[in-house]
Amino acid sequence: MAVIEIEGLRKQYRQLRGERTVALDGLDLFVPEGGVFGFLGPNGAGKTTTIRCLLGLVRPTRGACRLLGVDTGSDLSRVIRRVGTIVETPALYPRFSGRRNLELLGRLHGIGPKAVGDVLERVGLAERADHLVRTYSSGMRQRLGIGAALLKDPEVLILDEPANGLDPAGIKEVRDLLRRLGDEGRTVFVSSHILTEIQHTADRVAILSRGRSVAAGSVAQVLSAGRAQGVIVRLADLTDGVTALRSAGFEAVISNHDDIRVTMPPADAARVTRALADQGLYLTELRPDEADLETVFLELTNEAGRGGAQ
Amino acid sequence: MTALLAAEIRRMTSRRLFRVVAALTVLAIVIASLIVALRSRSTSGIAGDRRFHLTALAVALEGTSPVLIIAAWLLGASFIGADWHAGTVTTLLTWEPRRLRVMMAKLAGCLTVVFLLVIAVQILLAGGLALAAAVRGTTEGVDVAWMRHTAGIALRVAVLSGVGSAIGFAIASVARNTAAALGVGFGYTVIVENLVRGLRPQWVPWLVGDNAVMFISGQSAGPSFHRTILQAGLLLVAYAVALLIVSAAVFRARDVT
Ligand SMILES: Nc1ncnc2c1ncn2[C@@H]1O[C@H](COP(=O)(O)OP(=O)(O)OP(=O)(O)O)[C@@H](O)[C@H]1O
Ligand SMILES: [Mg+2]
Repeated sequence: MAVIEIEGLRKQYRQLRGERTVALDGLDLFVPEGGVFGFLGPNGAGKTTTIRCLLGLVRPTRGACRLLGVDTGSDLSRVIRRVGTIVETPALYPRFSGRRNLELLGRLHGIGPKAVGDVLERVGLAERADHLVRTYSSGMRQRLGIGAALLKDPEVLILDEPANGLDPAGIKEVRDLLRRLGDEGRTVFVSSHILTEIQHTADRVAILSRGRSVAAGSVAQVLSAGRAQGVIVRLADLTDGVTALRSAGFEAVISNHDDIRVTMPPADAARVTRALADQGLYLTELRPDEADLETVFLELTNEAGRGGAQ
Repeated sequence: MTALLAAEIRRMTSRRLFRVVAALTVLAIVIASLIVALRSRSTSGIAGDRRFHLTALAVALEGTSPVLIIAAWLLGASFIGADWHAGTVTTLLTWEPRRLRVMMAKLAGCLTVVFLLVIAVQILLAGGLALAAAVRGTTEGVDVAWMRHTAGIALRVAVLSGVGSAIGFAIASVARNTAAALGVGFGYTVIVENLVRGLRPQWVPWLVGDNAVMFISGQSAGPSFHRTILQAGLLLVAYAVALLIVSAAVFRARDVT
């Protein structure tokens, strides 16, 4: 069963002056059960809006969201006990301690102080748990928000940039936490800007641009989509190298001014070595051209941007 | 629902504004009782009776009522206004998505606390003045009828405070902001009511201010109009309920961003 199903979701915000912003423009999204699902997109792509629609906070202009099989516009309360969330910067009562905040929320679903203590421990706030939230640093607030999301021991986590404002150690902790939660069989839906983090944490990703999904699937699928395989060659004289490779029948171009990209399956790389050696050229480096999520992301979101501008 | 209500009551009582209001009124009551006691002369001479009469409590309650009602209105408006300001409405809705429930719990928490606060303040005031009367004044004229009359005033002040806080709550909840609610309240009492009094005197029986005076004191403040205490009270409650219905409908329909 799909944990999250979004179909043809459109959201148009209306401002007082009558201006309209299309935040989501026919978004389709399907998140299967279990594992970490990365939801990526540049600023203003509509990530937060999607999450708000999923949580019934914002009413879609068109389309529908289903979470754990129920329509989130009307029946969300039937499944909310199984869903932990962070929406943008988590907001809690500044004049209560972190512990009191979580206890008050927990009581709404019969969750006791013991569970609250455990969660505070887990997010590294045990020491400051009894201080007022308004004395927390923004990273500590973020940790408390993560704690609130974990408090229901949820099957599904919907997290909007959970690593926001955290230090490098905190970012790594969040990444490990997400991975662990995913490995436990929970479904973790996480929006993020930090692509390198997602690349190594997520099982599946969707890339959002201007309110539409421009790529979705397993990380490997998204990385390979639309990109020919290739190898990167480095040697002292790039121009000679390109000439030699081209005359040997390869499709080679100078990339980034300091190496050569040859379009070919990486398994055949030995042919490149020979072609160069035949011309008396010796390479200093040869490696497969592995697309990273960042490159794919920039390509996809730029294309979509240009498409939208026309 | 009870957990939700308990949380809101707890939140209301731990608000800074609530604590400041409570502390200031206690201070004011202590000072007032002291002044009353000091100025009271224990004898009645030729110059007239200069003793403090406990029977003046009714007047004291009427006199303090505007302050209490304005404080209640502020508490109501800022309670929900602060929630929007802190963004905690979003958090709460991800724990209890049924918006009507959330709003009812907030309103009920606010009304309970305001009502009890106002009752407590008045009991304290009565206690302070009773002490002053017992020590340096007189309790002459205090009988069952007087007690019933005075208790009636105190109860009506508490009810009206509740109505006031509900109205403040409703406006701030639509505006999602305390300051806007204060502006609306100020504009209404200072501008609208005075314009109506000047330009459309026949509408005066429908004004909040005039009905509030009628409800507390049983008399109309300005040009007289006929309305019993009960009628005035019901009209004010009806206004508050109407505003609350509008604000609940808005809260249910509008995006939370
Ligand atoms: N309350 C609102 N009123 C009007 N427009 C809004 C509102 N909230 C968001 N938008 C607009 O909707 C679009 C999508 O915003 P959204 O916050 O969903 O993006 P995002 O992907 O979460 O961005 P970021 O990475 O910066 O958090 C933006 O153009 C934004 O300006
Ligand atoms: Mg966002």
